[in-house]
Amino acid sequence: MPPSVNDAALPHPELVAAIPRLRRYARVLTGDAARADDLVQDTLARAWEKRRLWHAGTDLRAWLFTVMHNVHVNQLALFRREAGNVSLDADTSGLAWQLPVRGNQVDRVELMEVVAQMGRLTADQREVLLLAAVEEMRYEEIAAVLAVPIGTVMSRLSRAREKLRRLISEPSSTLRVVK
Amino acid sequence: MNSSPPNTVSDADLSAYADGQLAPEQMAVVEAALARDPELAMRVADYRAQSGLLRDALDTVLAEPIPERLLAAASSAALREPSLVRRWGIPALAAAATLILGVGLGWFGRDAMIERAGTPTTFARSVAYAHALYAADARRPVEVWAAEEKSLVTWLTKRLGFKVYAPDLNGLGYALVGGRLVAGNEFPTALFMYENADKERLSLQVRKQSARPRSGDAPTGETAFRYEIENGLGVFYWIDDENCGYAISGKLDRTQLLKMAHVVYAQLAVLEASDKK
Repeated sequence: MPPSVNDAALPHPELVAAIPRLRRYARVLTGDAARADDLVQDTLARAWEKRRLWHAGTDLRAWLFTVMHNVHVNQLALFRREAGNVSLDADTSGLAWQLPVRGNQVDRVELMEVVAQMGRLTADQREVLLLAAVEEMRYEEIAAVLAVPIGTVMSRLSRAREKLRRLISEPSSTLRVVK
Repeated sequence: MNSSPPNTVSDADLSAYADGQLAPEQMAVVEAALARDPELAMRVADYRAQSGLLRDALDTVLAEPIPERLLAAASSAALREPSLVRRWGIPALAAAATLILGVGLGWFGRDAMIERAGTPTTFARSVAYAHALYAADARRPVEVWAAEEKSLVTWLTKRLGFKVYAPDLNGLGYALVGGRLVAGNEFPTALFMYENADKERLSLQVRKQSARPRSGDAPTGETAFRYEIENGLGVFYWIDDENCGYAISGKLDRTQLLKMAHVVYAQLAVLEASDKK
């Protein structure tokens, strides 16, 4: 089907369908459920403003992720500017990253562990892990979302994985030493 | 950094292999390396296990019910036509445009859209909007006219869930026109309209405040007059210790409006005290 660039409407069913994934992405970006939903809301508003940039027939989710990434980056920049002389770690907003592991998951200790250790990665690393490992997006798509070269995506991802692997294996290796 | 010589496998290659996204021409090299080196094979297995754990842990988010405000935002984002708020922008809407557009939009829609656009609908702001909307209506500024003052007050008291009064501002040259119920964010607002001999109108609006003070609203638990200019309309408001908000607004200057506010406040205090006896 030919892409109708000037059609000013975003498809409603697809927008609604994308919300759960946007919320998950936002939660990984912000590390906070309430701020995540604010980000999703801002993203949807921004998507409407930018709707002419979306090409009908292409993956709306990937495009929305791009919009969300940009909204988040802009908000962080604003936050840092407002924070003024307060020195902030380059990788975080200075706000605690925490994802609650809920309900039926508590019986799986390793799930709590992986989420907890994810909090010790840099924000960039968490983001690329979500996009590649959880969303299973193609590296080219991720590169487009983050506006970085594909090589950067791959090296960032492999560093994130290796660091997470090390962090997760830490406690058990300690145990092994004790034993 | 480390320019890997041919036939060695980089970390990025391993990670891409684990994702099934390795370039085909690299496949043979990586697979040979994995067969050779159990440590590398272990890492690939770890990466895959890690992805599985992350998916299991984060998939639960997908099953959570979607908040109403996000569904509303999606509906709004799917609009082909720009909404009125977007087309006019907040300042324009806040100006006289409100008078015309506000009616067509409907109160709930307008509030929700402004909230969605990131502007909190504070008490003072909603008071100014309501006043602008209804005071401009020459023929039907109110639902119940002053002739039926008693039933007006009874009705509004019932709808708001606490005792409301229509203060007498005749001493200041303003006669009661009547009143109406206005939809609010959480609680309905009672609006009393007054008019002087020059047909200039002012309104007194009363509502229960939400238990949690919204940012921009006056702090609850103390009575202090606060003044704000919203859309060119002065608004004096205060919140009493019953957590009821009162606001008086009109095209008067600050001094005149404050005088009104003091009279209203004093009258209400007397009326409330005599009611409690």
